[in-house]
Amino acid sequence: MMFNVGVVLVAAAVVLFILQPLVRGIHASLERDDDELTETEARKRVALLALRDVEYDFLAGKLDEDDYRSLKSELTAEALAALEADEASKAGGAGDEALEAEIARLREALNSGTPCSSCSYSNADGSRFCSACGHALAEAVAG
Amino acid sequence: MTILGEFALWISLPVAVWGMVLGYAGGRTLRGDLVLSAERSIYAVFGLLLIASLGVGAAFLGDRFEYWYVANYSNANLELFYKVTGLWAGQRGSLLFWAVLLAFFAVITVFTNRKKNREFMPYVAGVLQTILLFFIVVLLFADVNPFERLDFTPADGRGLNPQLQNYWMTIHPPTLYLGFTAFTIPFAFAVAALLNGRLDARWIQLTRRWILTSWLFLSVGIVFGMRWAYEELGWGGYWFWDPVENASLLPWLTATAFLHSIQIQENRGMLKVWNMSLVLVTFLLTIFATFLTRSGLIESVHSFAQELKIAYIFLSFMGTVLAASVVLILYRLPQLRSENQIESFVSRESAFLFNNLLLLGAAFSVMWGTMFPLISEGFTGQEISVGPPFFEKVNFPIGLMLLTLVGVGPVIAWRRATKRNLQKNFTIPVTVGAVTGIGLFAQGIRHELALVTWSISAFVLTVIATEFWKGTRARARIEGEGYVLAFFHLISRNRRRWGGYIVHVGFVMLCIAFAGAAYNTDSRFNVQPGDVVEVESPFGHTYELTYEGLSMSIGRGERNLLWQAIATVSVRRDGVPKGVLTTEKRQYTNRDTQPMTEVGIQSIVQEDLYLILSAMNDTGGALRNDPGAQGIDLQVLIKPLVNWIWIGCLFITLGTVIALWPSIDRTRRPRERVAGATEPAAAGAD
Repeated sequence: MMFNVGVVLVAAAVVLFILQPLVRGIHASLERDDDELTETEARKRVALLALRDVEYDFLAGKLDEDDYRSLKSELTAEALAALEADEASKAGGAGDEALEAEIARLREALNSGTPCSSCSYSNADGSRFCSACGHALAEAVAG
Repeated sequence: MTILGEFALWISLPVAVWGMVLGYAGGRTLRGDLVLSAERSIYAVFGLLLIASLGVGAAFLGDRFEYWYVANYSNANLELFYKVTGLWAGQRGSLLFWAVLLAFFAVITVFTNRKKNREFMPYVAGVLQTILLFFIVVLLFADVNPFERLDFTPADGRGLNPQLQNYWMTIHPPTLYLGFTAFTIPFAFAVAALLNGRLDARWIQLTRRWILTSWLFLSVGIVFGMRWAYEELGWGGYWFWDPVENASLLPWLTATAFLHSIQIQENRGMLKVWNMSLVLVTFLLTIFATFLTRSGLIESVHSFAQELKIAYIFLSFMGTVLAASVVLILYRLPQLRSENQIESFVSRESAFLFNNLLLLGAAFSVMWGTMFPLISEGFTGQEISVGPPFFEKVNFPIGLMLLTLVGVGPVIAWRRATKRNLQKNFTIPVTVGAVTGIGLFAQGIRHELALVTWSISAFVLTVIATEFWKGTRARARIEGEGYVLAFFHLISRNRRRWGGYIVHVGFVMLCIAFAGAAYNTDSRFNVQPGDVVEVESPFGHTYELTYEGLSMSIGRGERNLLWQAIATVSVRRDGVPKGVLTTEKRQYTNRDTQPMTEVGIQSIVQEDLYLILSAMNDTGGALRNDPGAQGIDLQVLIKPLVNWIWIGCLFITLGTVIALWPSIDRTRRPRERVAGATEPAAAGAD
């Protein structure tokens, strides 16, 4: 008797539990999250991370100057494209200031940048050392 | 409790069907109530399977020998510990155990994703319920129900096979099962991605932790199995290439390939179809491993013929999953195109790709070697055995190439490496490798394979050490930190990379240890009490072993022992006393087995001393305690470097845990992400 009661209780609990959403009309969300990366954001992130890796590899002495330069300009162009694509996909929304600044910075680095006094490589603004030869760019920081 | 367990197993069947149907239907119609019901059904199935498992546990603890499963895997005298672990001691229980672990992981997945990644969840719930349903069907309808009752109640059970009464054997299967079942989650997300059309790298990012967790459990589980074989089987080996071991190695190989190839997809947007295929193949191999080890197929095709039902269910399930997944991949093929091309043969991408090909090559050869004898026996009725020579011939070269790649991969550049890049990074490591090889040769090492393995290992370790050194130095310089601090920050800022390197160090240690087996020594002595034998080890130690005598204990009945013969040997290493080792023969009451051997092992970092009581001169006399019947055959093995397998396994665990360790999720903090991406430059502006 006790056993039968136990069985009935377990079965009833299970049935109630799984049928409740249908009967009471409780809906689980099926929406994508807001804080999740969009595809363009994801691509941008990958591009920026790749850029970071190249910087790291160069600073760690694994890449030499020429390789570093060619890879960096290639990746910067890609990152820029990704950033712009992301920007465009946001359909002219309020505009993220940090992002704007980032784009501007990368664009400037591509176009002009801070020339190194030693090797004349144009560095991204705010660099303390030359990305190409490692020469100190102390003045740039002060400004 | 046991009856309630049986009943719970039966109700889980309709609940799983319900959840499966509603999961798919909810994904198709995008109705939240259907999805919620499907998700709740996963909680319900877990609860029900848990009750079923507790039911089996209660049957073991209560010595309920009317149940076939308990009667065959336990008896009244069995130690409590082994009764508790009886759930996974045999086929029937382990299938239930498998299902309950999977349900547990499914619950974690549903719970942690209750508020995020919702677009995946309907199909994830559907797929998980499909697989749970499969195991429930097997348990109920394939003559493997752990709740099956005998027509009569035996007075006692047959007891547990003594070889399985070992600590490692108790933790080895659950560890492997955790690895197998955890891999179902990435598979479910992959199928969900195919179904809902979200085919970017999102499903990979979501399941990266699951992939790593699964891989960790697989790796550790395999090593636990090796440890068990080493301690318990009594011949000093740890790997036989036997079908059960191969079955666990197969998904490990493809999971390892997958772990590497997803990095190309994440970084370069390539190999999408390949990754989908790998996740599918790995999942199928985890099911295949269960099938192979738990269907009776291994013992012989003939005994297997009596268990056709389970084979049909397994094979049709695997066939259906394979067909459905292939159709889905083909259907989504246009969206799975690569975003990039491999730019150069000499690049990190191609190193990853080559790594994948090698791992799959190894998997294929292991598969072939495992299945060929079974297939051939099925057709011709003749038993053929494909022994270690086949597996070694194929897999040693593959292993060496993989080992080399472990050294090449980290320093070769993405996209395209130049000659200068290679020269800059490989000059020192290659030199170290060559010097090591020459040094070892000068030391008298002549075994070619060992020599090559150790040289390559030296090369790889140098590469990894240099990576750590350069990274630390660069960080210390940029951030102005001390080296120790810089080292820890380096690791914590990119756990994936550095954790991966630590895993690689563990893998190199395993390779070094495997090669050590080339210098195993094996000597046999017939000794009387008081005899001293001397054995030289390859590392130049001299072991002086004094056989002290044999002690018998008879018929205590505890732990099912009929008798136990313990040989005591005192050990002196290089003239210094190093304690006493015992090695035993044991006869158990409840199985018609040969006497079992318990070995004596003394470990130092370089090598193990491994003693085997291989035979007694006069077993009858010894049992009667004849003073003259103490002579034994003592086998003395020296196992150089074997400990590095276990140490390597610790490194693998440590590295994986570092890679797994939750960090503050950067994807949610876009501003910091931008700051992080330009870190070297930003750091200078401080």
